[in-house]
Amino acid sequence: MVERRRLEAAMLVLTGLGTLLILPPLTYIFGQPISHFGVPQVVIYLFAWWALVIAGTAILTHWMPRDSTGDEEPD
Amino acid sequence: MLSADFVIATAVAYVGLLFVLAFFGDRRARERKSSFLHSPAVYTLSISVYCTSWTFYGAVGNAARSGLEFLTIYLGPTIVFVGWYFVLRRLVRISHLQRITSVADLLSSRFGKSSRLAVLVTCIAVIGIAPYIALQLKAVTSSIQAVAGASEFGQGSLAGIDDVGLALGVAAAMALFTILFGTRHVDAKEQHHGVVAAIAFEAVVKLAALLAVGVFVVFIGGGFEEIFSNAAARGFTLDTENTFNDRWVTTLVLSIAAIVCLPRQFQVTVVENSNENHLRVAGWAFPAYMMLMSIFILPIALYGLTTMPAGANPDMFALTLPMAAGQDGLALFAFIGGFSSATSMIILESIALSIMVSNHIVMPIVLRFTSGGRDGQGVSHLLLVARRFSIVLILSLGFFYFFFTRDSDALAPIGLISFTAIAQFFPAVLAALFWRDASLKAATAAIAAGFVIWVWSSFLPSFASVSPQVAQLVLEGPWGISWLRPEALFGLDDFDPLTHAVLWSLSINIVVLIVGSLLATQSTLERIQANLFVDVFRRGNVAPRNFMRGAATANDLYFVAERVLGERRAAALFETAARESGVAPAMLDPSPEFIGRLERELAGSIGAASAHVMLSKVVSGVEVSLEEVMQMADETQQVIEYSQQLEKTSAELRSTARQLEDANAQLRVLDGQKDDFLSQVSHEVRTPMTSIRSFSEILLDQGALDEQQRHRFVSTIHQESLRLTRLLDEILDLSALERGERTWENVPIDAEAALERALTVCGALLSQRGMRVEFGGRARPTMVEGDSDRLCQVFINVISNAVKYNDSERPLLHVTSAVRAGSYVVEIADNGPGIAKAERKLIFEKFSRGQRGAADQSGAGLGLAISRQIVARMNGSLDLVTGPLPGACFRVRLAVLR
Repeated sequence: MVERRRLEAAMLVLTGLGTLLILPPLTYIFGQPISHFGVPQVVIYLFAWWALVIAGTAILTHWMPRDSTGDEEPD
Repeated sequence: MLSADFVIATAVAYVGLLFVLAFFGDRRARERKSSFLHSPAVYTLSISVYCTSWTFYGAVGNAARSGLEFLTIYLGPTIVFVGWYFVLRRLVRISHLQRITSVADLLSSRFGKSSRLAVLVTCIAVIGIAPYIALQLKAVTSSIQAVAGASEFGQGSLAGIDDVGLALGVAAAMALFTILFGTRHVDAKEQHHGVVAAIAFEAVVKLAALLAVGVFVVFIGGGFEEIFSNAAARGFTLDTENTFNDRWVTTLVLSIAAIVCLPRQFQVTVVENSNENHLRVAGWAFPAYMMLMSIFILPIALYGLTTMPAGANPDMFALTLPMAAGQDGLALFAFIGGFSSATSMIILESIALSIMVSNHIVMPIVLRFTSGGRDGQGVSHLLLVARRFSIVLILSLGFFYFFFTRDSDALAPIGLISFTAIAQFFPAVLAALFWRDASLKAATAAIAAGFVIWVWSSFLPSFASVSPQVAQLVLEGPWGISWLRPEALFGLDDFDPLTHAVLWSLSINIVVLIVGSLLATQSTLERIQANLFVDVFRRGNVAPRNFMRGAATANDLYFVAERVLGERRAAALFETAARESGVAPAMLDPSPEFIGRLERELAGSIGAASAHVMLSKVVSGVEVSLEEVMQMADETQQVIEYSQQLEKTSAELRSTARQLEDANAQLRVLDGQKDDFLSQVSHEVRTPMTSIRSFSEILLDQGALDEQQRHRFVSTIHQESLRLTRLLDEILDLSALERGERTWENVPIDAEAALERALTVCGALLSQRGMRVEFGGRARPTMVEGDSDRLCQVFINVISNAVKYNDSERPLLHVTSAVRAGSYVVEIADNGPGIAKAERKLIFEKFSRGQRGAADQSGAGLGLAISRQIVARMNGSLDLVTGPLPGACFRVRLAVLR
């Protein structure tokens, strides 16, 4: 149970922090007109954010215990 | 160059393929419950219906026009799916338990099964989605025109057909296709496995097509770096400074709301979900899908801007870039990809909306105008007809919107108008899931208010390009009232129109919802439903109880069920219920649980509100039953139980504290007793020690003592030390007895024999005192539990006391033993001075001695205390009683062994 609560908290943090990171004013930090490998920094930042939250969700979900689903009812 | 006929033929063939897929998908899903159609992958792909032609074509156009803003449409849903555990999981669980069929059904069910709210939500959804469907029609017609090439347009079978005619044809074909697909039968859970299979296939096609175009563009463009730097050289750079403006936040919020509330998204994510655990995969896989879709958008847009002529429509870059490079095959693939994204959206959206229209608008009307719904016509059939007409209606609305606004250029802004309308449901949906006090009136008012503002500030201005009146209205306000201008309400004209509309509509929506809920009171049913929704995970998987109790017969109910569910499913339902309660189906007595289950089944087909109304008509009982009251009391009860637990705990604590206090007091008493005991012991020890010391001092100092004196002194010393030893032995014995250390096995012994032995041992003592022994009656050998030596010790002690303290002229000992009422009783009495009343309570205490003893009182006063302990260990008692003689009488009582 403790484990589940910790994971819930971690997911909440991931969701909340993820939201903050793509909202102003935090995005201004990466909004500089700089390019890496020809690609604007902000584009790299947004796609990196994307990849990281996807990976984070996959990992946290993997550890999260499954719910007992209510699908067993007869049809 | 591809010919228009060929392109259209390909599209028709593709639709045919989809139909076959859906048909076999449906069959397979029916036959095998655990086929791959029920897998998380298909579920995730079906959610990707979110990526419509707005994504396929519009995102490129949007990226070309406004840079990174197109990304917000996918970042918002990413946030929702990353946080799937909090909102989507709850939504899916509730919808499974309550058999929710649409977002209108969800809100209606949560807010007291209100049909009025369901109607409102359905109407808003139908009107709000019209621009979105128009967007798809526009995308499909534009893509056909683009791929067929302007030069060939108007030739072949398309001769004499303009874009309006083409859009009408597409809409009609889509309506036909959707009717064939989605309304073949009414499912209890409104799940369409076949359609979902086709949608999943289309999701793969559109992703593959866009990726193919993307890879091709990057390849011919010379790589990412080359494309970006070439674009920069031509002056097309991303305006990174102004990317994160108010529009960024607005579109992010809109897309978050849309992924939850859009009718088709609700349909695939919540209603079509066959297993809650699929969300675990979709939580990361759907964002990954969107990321893949977005990766090549920017390069395609920038490369298009760099290489295409200035007037080219950027929305069609995904199609025109391969064509410009002479890759007709790739262009056709891209066309099919875009066609996929449009058709999947149109099919699912119109299915979802038609369910809402038929369940929440048509059914209630039919129920109202037919008494008890008994018009003899199958409701199931009626539902299908209603759905088919709704599909036509919905696509017609989309077509009309397209017709009136066909001159507006870009795709993405049209979609955002729909998003803004649908976002009006979002506050109410969140409140439904998390806020117990949100009330029906407030939710209805909030959604209505938000919708009115949307119509005024977002929907109406979208006609400005085709109607000069509307354009003037937008510019000057109605009757010249400038603060009512649609795009500058209350003089707020610093924002762009979208942000302006979203800001006003959503904030008024939220304020009305919150303030209204705080002011309004909830009805009983609302409160019950609110608790069911908010506490869904606290309750576990218990299906909601039914609240109706009445005089419906199984026959009446069967009649209703048969017409809504069809004969087969109704019969199956009733037979299962009959089997469970162990009676024949004809004898089934509809229990409240059964009516509840039936209501949920019906709700799966016709929506919660209609099912409730329908059954209420049949079950003509009192709606508020004891159970309902109990359900309502549930929350209160939880609180009460909790406080009772607290009370119990604190009571326990109190009693523990009291016990501790008692124990403490006892300890203090014991401590005092210990002090008394020690002082008594030291006193007892002191007397013999004093005499031993003085006599031994005399012996040491006085050398000239005669032999006789010396002998007397030495024997005194000897006697005193014997007394000391005896005293110490007794103290040790007693304390060991008291602490329970000196235990012996209680075994069956002959008590009478022990008494006899004691009398024999004391024989010498008795004759020394000249004491006569008299027997009042003797028991036969009697078995008791105990230790015979110890019991003998007790008797000896009592007898020797009687001898010691007797000062009578003619001393007499009276001994009686008998078995009385299951007890072996020995009474030993004497004709001595007896024990004074004041001392009676004390004689069993340590160191207490009879005062009137005449003879030598050499005992330490521990004998009776020890005896009492011994008898107590044998589960018996030693008491002082009134005996047959004037002196004391002691009674030993032991349980006889049977």
